[in-house]
Amino acid sequence: MNASETMFNLRLIPLLPFLGATLLFFFGRRWSRETVLAVAAGAIGGAALVAFDAFFTRLPVAAEAGGLRDVVWSWMATGNLSVDLAFRMDALSGLLCLVITFIGFLIHIYSAGYMAHDPDYPRFFAYLNLFCGSMLVLVLGDSLPVMFVGWEGVGLCSYLLIGFWYHETANADAGKKAFITNRIGDFGFLIGIFLTFQATGTLRFSEITTMATAGSAFTAPFWLGMPMAFWIGTFLFIGAAGKSAQLPLYVWLPDAMAGPTPVSALIHAATMVTAGVYMVARMHAVYVLSPAALAIVAVVGAVTALFAAIIGFAQNDFKKVLAYSTVSQLGFMFAGVGTANFSSGVFHLFTHAFFKAGLFLCAGSIMHAMSGSGDIRKMGGLRKLTPWTHAVFVVCWLAICGVPIFSGFFSKDALVAGAFATEVFGHDMAWVGPTVGTILLLAALGTAFYMSRLYFLVFSGPSRADAETRHHIHESPPSMVGPLVVLAVGAGLGGLLGIPGGLFGHPEWNLLGHMLEPAVGVELEVAHSTELLFMGISTVLALTGIALANLFYGGGYRAPAAKFAAAFPGFVQLARDKFRVDEFYGAVIIRPLRKLSLALFRIVDRVIIDQILVGGTAALVDILGRISRAFQVGDAQRYMAAFAIGAAALIFFATRPTVPAALKVVVTGTTVSVDAGRAGKASPRGLTYSFDFDDDGRPEVEGGSSDARYTYDKGGAHTIRVTVTDPRWNTTSSLKQKIDLATGEQK
Amino acid sequence: MGARTAAGTPGAASLGDLLAPLASGEGVIFLILALGIVAMSIVCMTRKNPVSAVMSLVATFFGLAALYATLSAHFLAVLQVLVYAGAIMVLFIFVVMIVNREETTLISLRGIFWRVGGVVAGLYLLWVFAGITIPDQASAVVVPVPASDTFGTVASIGDILFRQFLFPFEAISLLLLVAIVGGVVVSRSARKETDAVLAADKRIAIAHLSSHDSPVPLIAPGGEGDDGHAAATAGGGGHH
Amino acid sequence: MPSFYYLILSFALFLIGTTGVLLRRNALVVLMGIELQLNAGNLAMLTYSRALNDEKGHVFAFLIIALAAAEAAVGLAILVGLFRNRQTINLDEATLMKR
Repeated sequence: MNASETMFNLRLIPLLPFLGATLLFFFGRRWSRETVLAVAAGAIGGAALVAFDAFFTRLPVAAEAGGLRDVVWSWMATGNLSVDLAFRMDALSGLLCLVITFIGFLIHIYSAGYMAHDPDYPRFFAYLNLFCGSMLVLVLGDSLPVMFVGWEGVGLCSYLLIGFWYHETANADAGKKAFITNRIGDFGFLIGIFLTFQATGTLRFSEITTMATAGSAFTAPFWLGMPMAFWIGTFLFIGAAGKSAQLPLYVWLPDAMAGPTPVSALIHAATMVTAGVYMVARMHAVYVLSPAALAIVAVVGAVTALFAAIIGFAQNDFKKVLAYSTVSQLGFMFAGVGTANFSSGVFHLFTHAFFKAGLFLCAGSIMHAMSGSGDIRKMGGLRKLTPWTHAVFVVCWLAICGVPIFSGFFSKDALVAGAFATEVFGHDMAWVGPTVGTILLLAALGTAFYMSRLYFLVFSGPSRADAETRHHIHESPPSMVGPLVVLAVGAGLGGLLGIPGGLFGHPEWNLLGHMLEPAVGVELEVAHSTELLFMGISTVLALTGIALANLFYGGGYRAPAAKFAAAFPGFVQLARDKFRVDEFYGAVIIRPLRKLSLALFRIVDRVIIDQILVGGTAALVDILGRISRAFQVGDAQRYMAAFAIGAAALIFFATRPTVPAALKVVVTGTTVSVDAGRAGKASPRGLTYSFDFDDDGRPEVEGGSSDARYTYDKGGAHTIRVTVTDPRWNTTSSLKQKIDLATGEQK
Repeated sequence: MGARTAAGTPGAASLGDLLAPLASGEGVIFLILALGIVAMSIVCMTRKNPVSAVMSLVATFFGLAALYATLSAHFLAVLQVLVYAGAIMVLFIFVVMIVNREETTLISLRGIFWRVGGVVAGLYLLWVFAGITIPDQASAVVVPVPASDTFGTVASIGDILFRQFLFPFEAISLLLLVAIVGGVVVSRSARKETDAVLAADKRIAIAHLSSHDSPVPLIAPGGEGDDGHAAATAGGGGHH
Repeated sequence: MPSFYYLILSFALFLIGTTGVLLRRNALVVLMGIELQLNAGNLAMLTYSRALNDEKGHVFAFLIIALAAAEAAVGLAILVGLFRNRQTINLDEATLMKR
């Protein structure tokens, strides 16, 4: 294996979209729409070509050596931390790369039709390119920090694109909500990165995997007796839960539907929201060391899957249904990776990218036809009016329901079977696998139900739209239908890439699982009979869901639906209100936070800062101003007088001879020796000293010497006065000191 | 002054020693001139009528010119008469004629303590400097050396001035030029300026009237807020 | 003739000028006081020049006279401007820096 085989200019893949975005930001407004589209689609298309080239011609050769690698430059090297801006493509990141560039390219084409009349056309494509570049950095990043850069980049683009039509407050708010919720997750993600660095001293995925295989760095107990791997896994999963909209941080995703539909398809269905799943799969070596962390991932994923599916039952907005469906499907993926079926999770990610993108693009197409409205209560009968969209929708619908042969069938089945068959939890937590599997089966039933409800309400029966809207219903332009059809092909046949090995006894038919082996570990072998059993159960559940939906909604709203709603009004209302999670957050987090902010505002801002600091400073300046204004009388004569007084004062002090603060007196019996010189300084020339030892006005010793000696006749207290004269200025200073010869005390 | 002429110090200057030179002919002339100068300067500073103040100042300057002559500063003595007693005092007289106000009170009481304090400070400084000027020993009395024939003549001063002090000379001439310009600018008739402002305001007001049909004051009282707008309109209004 | 006589006279003249500058209300007299101060300085210059037999003092006195001329010109111009605007030359009424 020589180095040249693992080297490839991977940097080109994210660089091209970034380049496109830069060009569009600077020149987009001056270019025609055709040029904008050519640059945007060309950038992502070029990236796709490079990615395909790397994946199909170079990666197979380099797979054994850990994939392709491209070090751009050394990003930071401080102490024992060294991070390169480096990219790596192995089977996992390569697959994601293909999905991103391919679906991204289709959605660029689709957007050309969808956004054709938008005045901010160039801005939209600039964001879209920026997003693709960030997402590719996320996926191709060779280390956690580089991944984090992409992670934040896609978050930013998500924010920008959700609030794309920022003139409406609701859209801007939805963008903020997404961003803030993601920040919470990112916080956990960052802590996970720090912990990883603490445990291993490296942030490169390949080295982390190597050290995790060795084990000791991650199995040592850290907090609360839990091993490091648990904490890393948990914190990283908090980040994943934010980005991939899992409980409890999923609330931003339904609101994110405020963005343009192609954005919902690309970012909030196919790519960005799956970043969390990708990250868990990327860090699988750490996760498998901690069954507890995996259990958290699995249970959260499974519960999210079911929870979001139930909410999906009662939503009346086309995109909202799909949004909750996305949350639910992401839950499936996490349940998959959480039960250590990493390749199954990624498999579902792959198929989901196709059918969910297809569904969203159908939604866009339908809304395009319905004059922008997404209210499914006003739809119906669109089967004949939009035949192409209908056909694509049917394929994607069957795929997500899990009807055999369609892609979702295989991937979902792999997840369920894997959950039941997993052995990663060991003896103590053996309940996790079956529990998760059961929940997933229920969620699959729910999925089939709400998706079929959506299908029947939109496409079957008579139209419930008003005449005006109905008049305008039309099939979308070819630039929109084309990508739809391509996605439908993927949604229909994508599952064949991952036929479970146990089904026909041919493990090598599981192309995807086989390919992902070096990246995420060996696919779990499920016995032939088990496989058949779960396939059967899945099929039955999917058909049951469809039948139930048909019973309730086939050809429009039917009696059983109303009867059910009447029988369980509380439940239906609760589902319609999305279990009031937003309200719960509002009451528990947002309102106290707001109250706290208000209190802080009133106390810290208003009182401490405004009144005490700002007002106090102003008052201080005011007082100083009042004081100094007394001197600024504006009277030139008084200024001059002050000048004269100042000059006199200077002369007065400058011409005094300098004397020490106190005399140095040494008493020996009745003899005292006095030093009037300044300590450590030579006596200035020309000064004369007169020493008056009994303070009677008649100096006993006079002369140029600063010290003198005198013997008293009698003991007791005496006062010594020394007068220093500067003959040059005819000025004097005098010093006085009392001494007590008996005690030697000086004052 | 001679506070430190302590008894018993050899060579100490007595008051008599110090005053002795005044008895000479030179001393008498100095005494007369000095007394006249001091008297005239005090008169100058105390007159209510500015004309008599200027006149006594002229007398002071003449006296000083004579003193300069006794110091062998003949050129400066001539200059003193020409420039001071001549040019500058004529300027003062002109201003007195323009202003022509006789004062009612000599001294304002505002801030009088400060100003009297300033005078006291001046007295103190005088005391200090006199203390170091007046010699305390007979041997320390500075008697000027006999001057050469050329001392203080135009030729010798010109020689120094244009050889060693050329730059200060040019600098002071520049200063005089600046002073001339400054004097013209400061004392120039402000009437014209006011007229220009009034005319501009009138134009602005007309522009306002024609554009808004609303009356505005001819001169907006302290109207900073309106100035930008007014200036903008004035530009357009000027072409009407 | 000992030089300290001239110096004492110079100090006295300077003090008289200072007193006028500080105490008088009339700006014109204040300007005259300043002239007196400058002349006192000149006298000291010339005295020392004579005592030290160095004519540089004469040059300085020459420059001081030129400076005094400039000062008088600008000062009187300001005074005229003040009178024109305020109809007064009393310094206690010319405290515009204050208000």
